[in-house]
Amino acid sequence: MMELAQQVGATAAAVDWHAIAPELVLAATACIVLVADLFLPDDAKWLAMPLSAAGIIGTLAAIVSLIGAGNRLTLAGAFEVDGFALLFKGVFCVLGLLILAISFHYFRVGRYYQGEYYFLMLCSLLGGVVMSSARDLVTIFIAIELISIPGFIMAGLRKGDAKSNEAALKFFLFGVLSSAVMLYGMSLAYGATGELLLEGIRAKLTAADEPLIVLSVFFIVVGFAFKISAVPFHFWAPDTYEGSPSPVAAFLSTISKIGGFVGLIVLMFRAFPDVADTWRPIFALLAILTMTVGNMIALRQTHIIRLLAYSGIAQSGYVLVALALIEPGATASNEQAFQSAVIYLAIYGIMDAGAFAAAVAFARRGGSYFIEDYSGLWQRSPVLATLLAGFLISLAGTPPMAGFWAKVFVFLAAIEAQSYLLAIVMGLNAVVAAWYYLAVVKKMFFEKAELAEPVEVPAVLRVAMGLAAAALVAVFVYPRLVTELAERSLF
Amino acid sequence: MPEGYFGQYVTIGIFAIVGTVLVAATLQLSRLVRPNHPTTAKLTTYESGIDPIGHGWSQSNVRYYIFALLFVVFDVEAVFLFPWAIVFEELGTAAFVEMVIFIGILALALLYAVKKRVLEWL
Repeated sequence: MMELAQQVGATAAAVDWHAIAPELVLAATACIVLVADLFLPDDAKWLAMPLSAAGIIGTLAAIVSLIGAGNRLTLAGAFEVDGFALLFKGVFCVLGLLILAISFHYFRVGRYYQGEYYFLMLCSLLGGVVMSSARDLVTIFIAIELISIPGFIMAGLRKGDAKSNEAALKFFLFGVLSSAVMLYGMSLAYGATGELLLEGIRAKLTAADEPLIVLSVFFIVVGFAFKISAVPFHFWAPDTYEGSPSPVAAFLSTISKIGGFVGLIVLMFRAFPDVADTWRPIFALLAILTMTVGNMIALRQTHIIRLLAYSGIAQSGYVLVALALIEPGATASNEQAFQSAVIYLAIYGIMDAGAFAAAVAFARRGGSYFIEDYSGLWQRSPVLATLLAGFLISLAGTPPMAGFWAKVFVFLAAIEAQSYLLAIVMGLNAVVAAWYYLAVVKKMFFEKAELAEPVEVPAVLRVAMGLAAAALVAVFVYPRLVTELAERSLF
Repeated sequence: MPEGYFGQYVTIGIFAIVGTVLVAATLQLSRLVRPNHPTTAKLTTYESGIDPIGHGWSQSNVRYYIFALLFVVFDVEAVFLFPWAIVFEELGTAAFVEMVIFIGILALALLYAVKKRVLEWL
């Protein structure tokens, strides 16, 4: 008993409080928001949003204070603050602020459980922030659950709407199933090596474990494939996005999805890089299926949220391409693939959240999510039309937006790793994707409007979209802004 | 002991057989030893001493669900409190503060439940 106490005491004393400061600030904010909501009168409940925003900005400040402080390892090696962790913590917080801007008017006007929503959103965001630093199996699992579980409730916040209920139930069932599958895979890795720390697993992997490790990696990848909505595990995504409140759809398609990718990247690059031969084909197959099927179905969509859902599935495919390029020992091309995945995720988050913001802004008045109603938006609301066009062009991967570089870097990494098949499939898919993104742009600019009234956009949303679009243009003009961060995030 | 991977299944098999026999034997033994005088009162379903009302498919009020949920929260809290209490003296102040934070967060949930008036029986 004394021995146990000493062990626990040793680790308890060694907690690096500065390293976990961002998480502490965010967790405290979530608690404060929940309590504040209880005591605020009904017509002041919207104050939960500025409170949450202040908390996220505080978290960002804590993250900035960790820059340049070197790599920090704490909580017995389960929690690491390095360039990769800081970059994604920053990305999650910026996306969190964007989502808050999207949510504000939607939840204030609709009066849907504002305090609970912001509390749940902050909890889920906390999951993402923890995930960036998680370096052992248990922490990764807790982080992914912390991201997902509030998501189930957020998807069902519009209790009176049957579609919202369907969205929540589908998301819940698929989410729970994927967690179980992932956990089984993790238990196999633990069983084979007796280690929870990713570094430990990597060190103890031997050739004799191969059949077990192949199974383990397969189950883990399938579990994550649900979270990142990769084909053929994508069925829940379009229905859930369409049925849940639109800001929640934006949340699920950016923070939740990127959180899944961060976990996947950490696991693959820290625990299993030496057995990449076994899992590379899985990712290649997933990437090809995800890109192609996602784009083909997106072509036929008439509902903007469903279009973004399927196109988001296809976008996941491009990141999976980067993971399918890893070869044990090929350091240079591996680093390039890793950086391209990191850059893609960071840029994807901003442009996808921007597109959702524009869709929510448009639907605010007329309540329409149908693409045909976007015709002639240029005449009704030139600013909104320009911004949405910018985000869609970025998603399509054409200049002058950052999405261009995101695709180019993954493409170059594929060429560098001599995976020409993946490069060709990716190129073809980019062309298909450009078709349906630009079809919306064409509708907005070159077709006649049926209505003449302008679409009002609330100031918060306008500022958020403006900043996101400006960031995307800035990254296009000077890609060093993100490549520098990606270089620093190399493991 | 039998050797090798499949040899270990022999151990499991032995345990399975012994386990089955043990249960069956004790049940048979008690049937042989005990007196058997059934009455109506003895044959009714046991419901903590109260006369059973209704049948087995009766529905319970959905409000019990909230109490069940709150019970689980504090049950889990107790699970964490026991090991903490055992090593508490060695760990000192840091552990005390951490546990206060942990209980504080759970207490927030209770505060939430109270303020949302889910604890009132409507």
